Amino acid sequence: MGKLRKSLTGVVVPLLSILLAILIGAIIMLCLGANPAVALKNLVIGAFGSKPNIGTTLTKSTPLIFTGLCACFAYKCGVFNLGGEGQFIVGSIAACYVTLTTGITGFPAMLLAMIAGAVAGGIWGFIPGILKITRGQNEMIISIMFNYIATLLMGVIYTNWLRDGSVPQTAAVPKESMLPRIVTGMRMTWGFVIAIVLGILIYYFLYRTSAGFRLRAVGLNPTASRFNGFPVKRFILISFIVSGAIAGLGGSVELLGTQYRLINGYASGYGFDGVAMALIGQLNPIATIVVALFFAALRAGATTMQAATGVPTSVSDIIQALVIVFTVAGMALTQLPEFTAFLQKHRREEAKKA
Amino acid sequence: MSFVANLLLATVRMAIPLLFIAMGELYSERAGMVNIGLEGLAAIGSLVGFLVSFVTGNNWIGILCGALAAIAVNMIYAFATIQLCANHTVYGMAMNIFAPALASFIYRVYFGKGSDLSQIQLMKGIAIPGLKDIPFLGDLLFNQTPMVYIAFLLVIFTVIFFKSTRAGLNYKAVGENPKAAATLGIDVIKTKYLACVICGALAGIGGAYLTTCYSNTYTEGNIAGRGFIALAAVIFGRWSGGGILIACLFFGFCDALQIRLQVASIGIPYQFFQMIPYLATVLALSIIGGRKLGPKASGKPYRKEER
Amino acid sequence: MKKALALMLTVSMTALAFPAFTQAEAKDYKIAMICDSSINDGGWGAACYNAMVAAAEENSWTFEVTDSIAQNEYYESIVSYCSLGYDIIYAPGNQYTDAVLQAAEEYPDVAFALLNGAATTPDEAVNGNVTSLLPNAQQIGWIAGALAGLMTKTNTIAFIGGMELDTTLGKYQGYAEAAKYVAEQDGREVSVLDPVYAGSFDASDKGIEFAKAMMDNGADVFFGDASAVDSGARQAIDEANKAAGEIKVFDIAQPADILGQNECIICSQVTDNSAMISLCMKGVEEGTFGGETIYGTLQNGGLSAGAISDLVPAEVQDQYKEYLQQMMDEKFMA
Repeated sequence: MGKLRKSLTGVVVPLLSILLAILIGAIIMLCLGANPAVALKNLVIGAFGSKPNIGTTLTKSTPLIFTGLCACFAYKCGVFNLGGEGQFIVGSIAACYVTLTTGITGFPAMLLAMIAGAVAGGIWGFIPGILKITRGQNEMIISIMFNYIATLLMGVIYTNWLRDGSVPQTAAVPKESMLPRIVTGMRMTWGFVIAIVLGILIYYFLYRTSAGFRLRAVGLNPTASRFNGFPVKRFILISFIVSGAIAGLGGSVELLGTQYRLINGYASGYGFDGVAMALIGQLNPIATIVVALFFAALRAGATTMQAATGVPTSVSDIIQALVIVFTVAGMALTQLPEFTAFLQKHRREEAKKA
Repeated sequence: MSFVANLLLATVRMAIPLLFIAMGELYSERAGMVNIGLEGLAAIGSLVGFLVSFVTGNNWIGILCGALAAIAVNMIYAFATIQLCANHTVYGMAMNIFAPALASFIYRVYFGKGSDLSQIQLMKGIAIPGLKDIPFLGDLLFNQTPMVYIAFLLVIFTVIFFKSTRAGLNYKAVGENPKAAATLGIDVIKTKYLACVICGALAGIGGAYLTTCYSNTYTEGNIAGRGFIALAAVIFGRWSGGGILIACLFFGFCDALQIRLQVASIGIPYQFFQMIPYLATVLALSIIGGRKLGPKASGKPYRKEER
Repeated sequence: MKKALALMLTVSMTALAFPAFTQAEAKDYKIAMICDSSINDGGWGAACYNAMVAAAEENSWTFEVTDSIAQNEYYESIVSYCSLGYDIIYAPGNQYTDAVLQAAEEYPDVAFALLNGAATTPDEAVNGNVTSLLPNAQQIGWIAGALAGLMTKTNTIAFIGGMELDTTLGKYQGYAEAAKYVAEQDGREVSVLDPVYAGSFDASDKGIEFAKAMMDNGADVFFGDASAVDSGARQAIDEANKAAGEIKVFDIAQPADILGQNECIICSQVTDNSAMISLCMKGVEEGTFGGETIYGTLQNGGLSAGAISDLVPAEVQDQYKEYLQQMMDEKFMA
């Protein structure tokens, strides 16, 4: 039974949600007088139709993978870190300072920037973590507040402290410190590879090591863990720091590989997007990566769809939001006692028939 | 003197939309429903409020429809969190992604690719005879649009409702201990739905206020984080009507000051002033401690009977 | 032999048909515009969009637009249109410079028209496929500033910007120096409030608050370079005038003639963007596009003053027109 339910929530619910969301999207397109088949075809072309387009999709997926993994790791360990965006941003800020002010360039600069980004993200995750374990605070609210504080701090940096020229933005990362591209003609950089490797590492750590098992145990049942002598508070703090560091690393990769400079609107929405990716991916790091790729494709294809068929890009946003709305509701549904009872009844009947 | 008076006038202007949205959140949390989807609710309320005012030429119908639209969107949240016991925060977040996308979509479909500026007639102010002539306070409190009076009356009503009415105490019981409330014969599910209706309506009105009483044009993203500042105001105001009023006025003051300091070219980056609401909330929470305040069953799922 | 003849015939026919074929299917030229503000903002975005539409209709091009995009999405939006095979990307604003240069490097076959690009920008494009359309910011400022200097009663005028762009600063400086000069001729001294920046082009609420705060500081003529923010400012000015019972605070609009949209507008500084875009289109059709800076000035008709409201007394209008003539003859402030 447990297995059936797990496979149901794990695969069927997200897939059904995606289909349902696309169906509603198609109905909206129809109402607009557009041909949904043509629009969706252009959406796919925009995302995968050519080498550069695939590159764009993979590039867009990279930050989502990082924030998704950040949420994934935290939730697996039972801490609701909604501060992925803030941690991502401070990671970018740290990377920006390293590449623009230290005078170091090339590979050492990249390495140093990524370490600095991870450390900064970890510190930004440490704050809500320490406030939670010492003051018993709601970590979700605190981490949301710190998202805004990070965004505004970034604003000070690109309009004042590190501003370059007349436009409120920092200078671009020097060419030799930019993350190199993997294939010419495709925009995605080694940052994408770092994201994938990180996902696999996290998966290995959580499911194949004893430390990972203990962290998951705390997430699953803190009270029992406390009885078993696990230092629960310390684990919570560690989870916060590590998940913050994941997001922070993502921020430095985004800066070095894609955006190159801090600018208004940078990283806006990535944190919450990451939470959605992780939830749809059932808190599985590998599934989270797949979901992030799917969302990135919807985003990358939307502009092509608008230009080719006149269907506004906001339809793509609506589809994305509906996928989240349906998946989360569907998952909650399958965990309801009534639903479990229904499955049990169904199983008994099957057993009777056999 | 006039600098101070004008600053306070701007403070009230900035505080009113926050106040509506924050009061919505208060009603929601008092029934145990933590709704972080305020930003989205306000966005759809703002768009519908503008659109209907634009079409009908009547701001009141606009605000009403803005409230109704936000209620409708919030019913998705209500159903998923009450009936399906979905995680409140996650669902609120989903609403924050969904509702602004919907608003942007409706706007684009209705106004199409036109380049004409669509303006509406803003709601007119009504001065209260006699009171408006009080020096200083007259303009500040008694020479405003009716929505401002409604906002202040709402605060007074809320304080009385939760402090000294039977219905209010029952309502609060749902947020504190739903099981005990149920044994007392209170319909917990109904109260929670009611909370979502009120929250949707007030957040929608807060959004619609921006486009019917404040700015006569609509721009995408006009909520600009007010939903989250309202969330902070509820915490900073310690879940009480009066506290939230003070919090909103304080946050509004920071915003008004920030604008004026930019005009006066003081040289301190204005973002630091915009940080104050968030920092203040974190600080307030750190000093008073988190778990001691606010509805105890907030954000927890309620199941009629555990099977 | 027959076979050889048939083959030769086919080859020659194909060879003949080929150019005919390509000519028959006259290339369908496409232009795309990106914009961070909305195209119905009642100001900058609308004017730039209308200019593109006018130029596209004149040259029978098809056009497309994506508006209200965030600053970090400039590049993404541009590249999407490039990969869809658009011939010209029209980016109306100095703030797009970096995104345009980046995209221009990756798409050498696409032409980029950068409105308010710097004179040096075309040289920075390695593929030589960027053209700057550069209305003279100082003259734009003069056109507004001369009228502001003549019309202010409080001798205090204000300017609201969207972003701290070089061109915006140029307009502010022209505005300030012209107003001061004009007032000086009448024996008055005008103070110009420091420019404020909303940080974006679509925060109309900031426009409202800035305008109110600046009116509190005594400003009675406004000029701006901030799209929807300007619309917000005009709303606040209209409200203040209504409360005062007379129109005594004025606004000067740009870059299209929108006299009558708001009561407070007394005149518009008009920029003929459409003529400049048209030049780009012709350049692309003839294969001569790129690497240049197309200037817009009073002298070449790229800039002008729009219709003047009745709120401006007849004798002031005459004075203003005289100053405009001086600018035209390059004798203003000389």
